[in-house]
Amino acid sequence: MDFINAILTPFTWVVSWIMWAFHEGFSWLGMDPANGWTWTFSIIGLVLVIRAALIPVFVKQIKAQRGMQALQPDLRKLQQKYKGKTDQLSRQAMTQEQMALYKKHGTNPFSACLPLLIQMPFFFALFNVLNNTARASDNNEGIGALTPEDIRQFDESSIFGAPLSASLLHGGGGENQVAVVVLSIIMILAMTASQFITQKQIMAKNMSEEALASPFMRQQQMMLYILPLVFGIGGINFPIGVLIYWTTTNLWTMAQQFIVIRRMPTPGSPAAKALAERRAKKGLPMVPLLGEKKTEEPAVEAPAGPKVQRQQPQRKNRKKK
Amino acid sequence: MTVSGHSPESVPAGRLAARFVWTLPQNILILLLKGYRKAVSPLYGQVCRFFPSCSAYALEAVTVHGAVKGTWLAGRRLARCHPWNEGGVDHVPSSPAFEEKLREDPSLTPRILVLNHPVIPADDDGRAAV
Repeated sequence: MDFINAILTPFTWVVSWIMWAFHEGFSWLGMDPANGWTWTFSIIGLVLVIRAALIPVFVKQIKAQRGMQALQPDLRKLQQKYKGKTDQLSRQAMTQEQMALYKKHGTNPFSACLPLLIQMPFFFALFNVLNNTARASDNNEGIGALTPEDIRQFDESSIFGAPLSASLLHGGGGENQVAVVVLSIIMILAMTASQFITQKQIMAKNMSEEALASPFMRQQQMMLYILPLVFGIGGINFPIGVLIYWTTTNLWTMAQQFIVIRRMPTPGSPAAKALAERRAKKGLPMVPLLGEKKTEEPAVEAPAGPKVQRQQPQRKNRKKK
Repeated sequence: MTVSGHSPESVPAGRLAARFVWTLPQNILILLLKGYRKAVSPLYGQVCRFFPSCSAYALEAVTVHGAVKGTWLAGRRLARCHPWNEGGVDHVPSSPAFEEKLREDPSLTPRILVLNHPVIPADDDGRAAV
């Protein structure tokens, strides 16, 4: 346990410092430092900072996925070559050739595990901070950048009567445990709903027909059923403060997905057609979508209006011979 | 590092016990990796940007190079697996000692070695292209 704590210490410091900074800011703006909402907004601020820092990784991933479009012909050739060969060794050979192909084109649809792993220590650190407030408050200790006074405030603060450090299963709500139960269930439902909407949006609007028929779909479909289970189990175990973090980060994902689908949809998907129609209605020229071949764009170049013969400027006092 | 021994020749009980203890960490790691690949990997499908995938790489590295060097190699591979690396084909470096052992008895070839080094069929095998 001490070993894990040692690894988490720097992350705990970062997380607690960001929360402390937001809390100071909101207090300076005139909010009550001991109020549960001030602490709730501090947690939301923490989510915004972490997710904003992760935007470059997300954009990079989208670009890589769109880069796939360019190597579709090569990929089809490869599928043709391995058509009907379903034994494990042929599959392995095909995967190896596919990877070599991605490398050749300098793109790769797989995000690698790093974006996922990067978020882990922050989440655990936050969990560490929020989960230990009750104990630290009793011992009059601080956590990371948060002073003992901050911790005491946080531990005693509540929203809608539900203490931020209480959880559905492990209690801590005292007389207001009903509020903790209701709030936990509402947030579990909100997380599940936002996850469901995000997934549905991607599948219904932002996938080309080719992608819809691919094995990636199985994975996507699996997540649709596993994640609500994770939210449910986590939701009844984790304190309200952690649930606020989790729900906010889920809502961020949903909004981010919505913007991506609207502004830079996958070429060949229903969302791309919708964007083209919207732009046509406004009389705007087509923009090339990320990952689309450059040769496709000049087809709908902005019309230059009716052609008018330009008058040649002539000198009026031209000498006549 | 030595590799897991299932040699058929009879050896004294003392040496057998010593070899069991010596290869224990390696065998525990192999068991854990196989369990992970059976139970956890299928859940989220292919996410690795390399061939072989990180867990397949780790399993081969530990099998071929032993617990210490194998773990080191697998750790370095995990560190390479990030969005700014283009990925591609990245095989475990070969171990002369292990190859020597396989030359003596090819039937000892572990399955992971076969899976990680598939024979790539020729491009034009009479099938109509495209």
